[in-house]
Amino acid sequence: MRLHSLTLRNFRGVKDRTVDLPAIGTTVVVGDNEVGKSSLVEAFALVFDFPDDSKSTRIRDIQPVGQDVAPEVTVELTLGGRELAYTKRWLKNRSTELSIVDPDGRRQTWTGREAHNEAERLFAENVDPVLWQTLMVGQGQSLVLPTPADAEPLITAVTAESGTPVDGASMPLVTAVEHEYLRYWTRGGRPHGEYAKSAAVVATAELAAEQALKAMDEVVADIRRAERLALDLDDLSSRLGDHLKSVEDLRERKKATDEILLRRDSIRSRAETARARLENHTRTRLERERLLADVERFTKADAELAERRTDAETVARKAADTVHTAEAALAEVVELKDERRAQVQDAERLVSLLMDRAELDRLTGQQAELVDVRVRIAAAGTVLDGIKVDDATVAELEDARAKVVEARAALAAGVPEVLVRRAGAEAVELSGTGLDAGSGKKVPGSLAEDGEIELLVSGELVVGVPGQVEVKVRAGGEAATLRARVDEAVRREKDLLKKARVKDLPAARELLRKGDLASAELQEARRTERSLTAGGDPAERIALLAARLGIVEGEEPAEERESKQPAVEAVPGQMSLFEQFEPDENAFDFEDFEVPAPMDVAELAVAQRRLEDARSELAEVERLLADAEFAAAQARKAADEDRSEAQQARARAELAGERLTAAVEALEAARAVLADEDVDSAEVEATAEVESVLDELTAVQEQVDAAGADEVAGELADALAVATRLQGERDVLRDSLRTTEGRLEQSGRDGLATRRDSAELDLAAIRAEHESLKRRADAARRVYETLGRHRAEAQTKYSEPLQNRIEALGRSVYGPSFRVWLDDDLAVAERELDGARLRVEALSTGAQEQLAIITRLAISHLVSTGDSSVPVIFDDALGWSDKGRLRDMGALLGRAGDHGQVIILTCMPERYEHVPRATFIKLEA
Amino acid sequence: MAGIPGVVGVLVGWLSVGRVSVLTAMNDSITFLHSSDWQLGMMRRFLGPDGQARWAQARLDAVMRIGEVANQTGAAFVVVTGDVFEHNQVERQTILRACEALKRIEVPVVLLPGNHDALEPGSLWTSSQWLGHAPEHVKVVTDTLPLEIVPGVEIVGAPWRSRRPVSDPAAPGYADLAPAPAGTKRILLAHGQLTSLSGGMSDVPTIDQTSLEAAVTDGRLHYIGLGDRHSTTEVTDRIWFSGTQEVTAPEETHPGNVLKVTLTADEIEVESIRVGAWHMVEHHAELYDEESLTALEDWFAELPEKERTYVRLAADGSLPLPLLSRLDAMVDAQGEVFASVERWAKFWTVRPAPDAADLDALQLSGPARAAMEELRQALAGGDEGAGAALTLMHRLARDAG
Repeated sequence: MRLHSLTLRNFRGVKDRTVDLPAIGTTVVVGDNEVGKSSLVEAFALVFDFPDDSKSTRIRDIQPVGQDVAPEVTVELTLGGRELAYTKRWLKNRSTELSIVDPDGRRQTWTGREAHNEAERLFAENVDPVLWQTLMVGQGQSLVLPTPADAEPLITAVTAESGTPVDGASMPLVTAVEHEYLRYWTRGGRPHGEYAKSAAVVATAELAAEQALKAMDEVVADIRRAERLALDLDDLSSRLGDHLKSVEDLRERKKATDEILLRRDSIRSRAETARARLENHTRTRLERERLLADVERFTKADAELAERRTDAETVARKAADTVHTAEAALAEVVELKDERRAQVQDAERLVSLLMDRAELDRLTGQQAELVDVRVRIAAAGTVLDGIKVDDATVAELEDARAKVVEARAALAAGVPEVLVRRAGAEAVELSGTGLDAGSGKKVPGSLAEDGEIELLVSGELVVGVPGQVEVKVRAGGEAATLRARVDEAVRREKDLLKKARVKDLPAARELLRKGDLASAELQEARRTERSLTAGGDPAERIALLAARLGIVEGEEPAEERESKQPAVEAVPGQMSLFEQFEPDENAFDFEDFEVPAPMDVAELAVAQRRLEDARSELAEVERLLADAEFAAAQARKAADEDRSEAQQARARAELAGERLTAAVEALEAARAVLADEDVDSAEVEATAEVESVLDELTAVQEQVDAAGADEVAGELADALAVATRLQGERDVLRDSLRTTEGRLEQSGRDGLATRRDSAELDLAAIRAEHESLKRRADAARRVYETLGRHRAEAQTKYSEPLQNRIEALGRSVYGPSFRVWLDDDLAVAERELDGARLRVEALSTGAQEQLAIITRLAISHLVSTGDSSVPVIFDDALGWSDKGRLRDMGALLGRAGDHGQVIILTCMPERYEHVPRATFIKLEA
Repeated sequence: MAGIPGVVGVLVGWLSVGRVSVLTAMNDSITFLHSSDWQLGMMRRFLGPDGQARWAQARLDAVMRIGEVANQTGAAFVVVTGDVFEHNQVERQTILRACEALKRIEVPVVLLPGNHDALEPGSLWTSSQWLGHAPEHVKVVTDTLPLEIVPGVEIVGAPWRSRRPVSDPAAPGYADLAPAPAGTKRILLAHGQLTSLSGGMSDVPTIDQTSLEAAVTDGRLHYIGLGDRHSTTEVTDRIWFSGTQEVTAPEETHPGNVLKVTLTADEIEVESIRVGAWHMVEHHAELYDEESLTALEDWFAELPEKERTYVRLAADGSLPLPLLSRLDAMVDAQGEVFASVERWAKFWTVRPAPDAADLDALQLSGPARAAMEELRQALAGGDEGAGAALTLMHRLARDAG
């Protein structure tokens, strides 16, 4: 099929437009949005699909909104070698016209429904719908990869080129094989469904059978055990019976030998008695010998110890005398020591008394000095308290003085100076204001005779001679001001003097000097006070010493009181400077203290020498006392030791006496029982008796040995032990047998054999079923895999032409490493580039779109040689490619036009500027 | 039969039933029934659960029919020579149902423990289940002491005391016997294979036939009833295997009978009477074309009592794929009709023989055809798995087509 032109009238937004398309080559139809590019594609579809009388909404939708006009489409195309002009108008003035020119030039026309049917028929005959849908890419569909497996023209082309016919007839078988396979297996090849369940059922049945078999095996084992136990029990019972018989035989034998044994026991008993008697006699003899020896030994010891006792007592008495003598000497020395100590104490008391007197003298002097110092401190303090002048005050006063002098000088210079002299007798009276006679002198109301006065007039001076003349002098304009300054300076100076409580400046200076002197005096006096009181208040110690010495307090001498007056000079200009001074009421009062006459120092030295002598004598006596005490202690210790020695000697002598007495008594008692001379003969007799009885015992033992009597008892005991053991073993066997039989009885009730047989029967049936399933499953798998393998091979071969075409086109864009693999639907499944193989879903959007376009161009190329080729139409594609790819894809689209009709609809013509030999058609709005 | 007049008193004292038998015994001869190898509780895997239940019931039914035969023949008693039960540890139901079946036999019954139900520790015969339910007229031989079952008839037996006897299992029953008193018929009940019949294949000691015959000859024994062989077998005129009352395996030649034994003063008459209802059949088919397949179908069709018949089928040959499918379908269908039809795996070697025409008929092309061809060649190369696959593929292709 080739499209030649499309004409749209009253079609959506298009009023009347015809687009002519070249029959071969690539055409790019360019138009802005909404100008009707997509309507071209839509119109082509509608003209074939909907008859002119259609009321479909799709038809109604193409009518321009609000316009009662008839949508109309005319399409001119080549179809199956025929040239068709096909026009259809819907909704109003409906009409359909079809004009066909055959290859041989014959023209035919149809109208109305016939035209529609004929056009439809021709389209269906010559255009494969799958191929048409595959190669016509609508808006927004450019990413969709084509799945063209059912496109007949493609199948034909592929089959022709590959030589492999499509195996469509086998598809039901393929489906059936797959269905059969999936009955038993998953696609991954694991057992599935009935088959998988069957395996589980077999396992369960095997387990059940195994358990049943095991239970039954245990029964069989029990049967064997019981049989064995029964046999063992029989055997043991038999052996036990035999053994009990031998036990009885031994009992009989033992009875026979018991008599001999009894006799032997009797003789043994007698032998024991005789032996005991002999031992008794031997003991008696030995005891007698020991008693005799003891008496002899103790007699000798008794004499020795009595002698030692006497000696020790003599030594002890001598030692006691020595102690007595030493203690008498010691008492004498003690007495002498007490005497010497009293002498020392007397001397110490005298020295102490004299030393206290000396200290009292010293303190008394110190106290007098302290009183003086405190008077000086008080006086200086009083002076300082009265003086209100300091360096700053003096400086201020000096300044005020200067200011007064300065003001006065200015006044003198600035006002009239009037000399009034009384020349005559007439009274001269002076009055006025602002008059100054200099230095504060008062202006008299009148002048004395010959008196004169110089006046500075700062206001008005009236000099009058009463009744005669009156002269008035008036100062100039500044006089008042100068006068006021003088007054101010004078007033300030007076204020300062008043504040400082001084008469004038020289008085202030003098007062400042006096203050400095008083301050120095105060510091000196305080230093002295501190040194006098450094060792505590002398008054307190004087009081203590006086009390200790018993001295009576008396009146203080009057002259000493006077000496306490302050020695401060009167200060000129000082106002009542000492009026405020009062003596310190808190000072030490010596009113009642009578100072004793000073002690003679030589008297103390004599007393101290006497004390030293007394102490030397006492030390000598103490040394004598120590010697006497040591001697007495030594004597006492020696006496104690000697006394102890004597006591021990006495005790030992007494003990020896007692033991001798006891030994003699014991010997006497023994002799009373048996005389010494009878002791040996009794022992000899007993010895003979023992020997006699032993001879008898030897004889009877020979009889016992001959009869084997001793062994019989042992054998019987052994046999009884064995019997007991055998009986125990038999009991154990019996118990085991009963237990086993009990178990068997129980297992008999449980029907374990039936269970086992039943389980095995079940298992066999299940296994048979499973084996059958397995055979079927294996067969299904074998068929599935074999067929699948052959199909895959065929598929590979079959898809090769398309694959080769896609790869050839793709390599012009991507280079030589570009490869693709197709699936059963001939759709591209995977792409490899530079060795990286990816599923198409994993590719970028741009790569997917490019691959979709390449695939369509490849399909178009494959089918281009047949009559059933169709145009490739892209509505708005290549929106995802970069510039480089656009260039390569453009070249590809251009080449595709060389052997087919390629129509591209776009609003972005720059995407296709690299398409060589393309025809661009611009749609205007 | 000098002892016969005293029979009534003895029997009345020992039995609560059996007056009919006593009257029969009043004649000049004594008739009794000999059976063995009931093996109650036996299971057969090839029968399937349903077949197994019906077959187990059939074995009990056969026991009850022995009772009917006893009534009909005037038998004075019934002896069962071993393997009454399949095992000492059968389930309780089996024992109770056996007791019910035994009650249907109205004359005294003497049971001999065999190798399956030996008088071993834990034996069924000493269990409370048996002792609590066994009918009073049933006697189990637990020792070798002679038992006068009816006046003038003495039974001696050699019960198995272990499944592993160490010597001739029949010998204890008669070794120390003196000749039977005059007028007394003595019957030995024993269980085991005869040395003469075992062919030296038995793994337990066998019964010395020569000694048995000597005992008959010297008048110690008048009839020797044997058990263990499931087919009815006459060893001599006085030594018999009764065989099982109901078939247990296809190899058995004459199963499903009870022996009616009549002893007169000098004669013996033994008659085999069928009491079993089941058949176990073994068949071997050569299959190579449609005709042979049809023959097999006919063989199946002709078998009687299909619901009580087990068929063990062996076959070899090769069949085209369509015929192979037909064979499968036929065997499956017969399996539904018969008690059981089992392909004898050991002897089943029917192979598919696909020829080009088979494959062409399917009109396959391309990969399908290639796959089938590959399987066909693998089969030709001896690949058995390929045969099954090919058969399957053929069927799928045929159904899909």
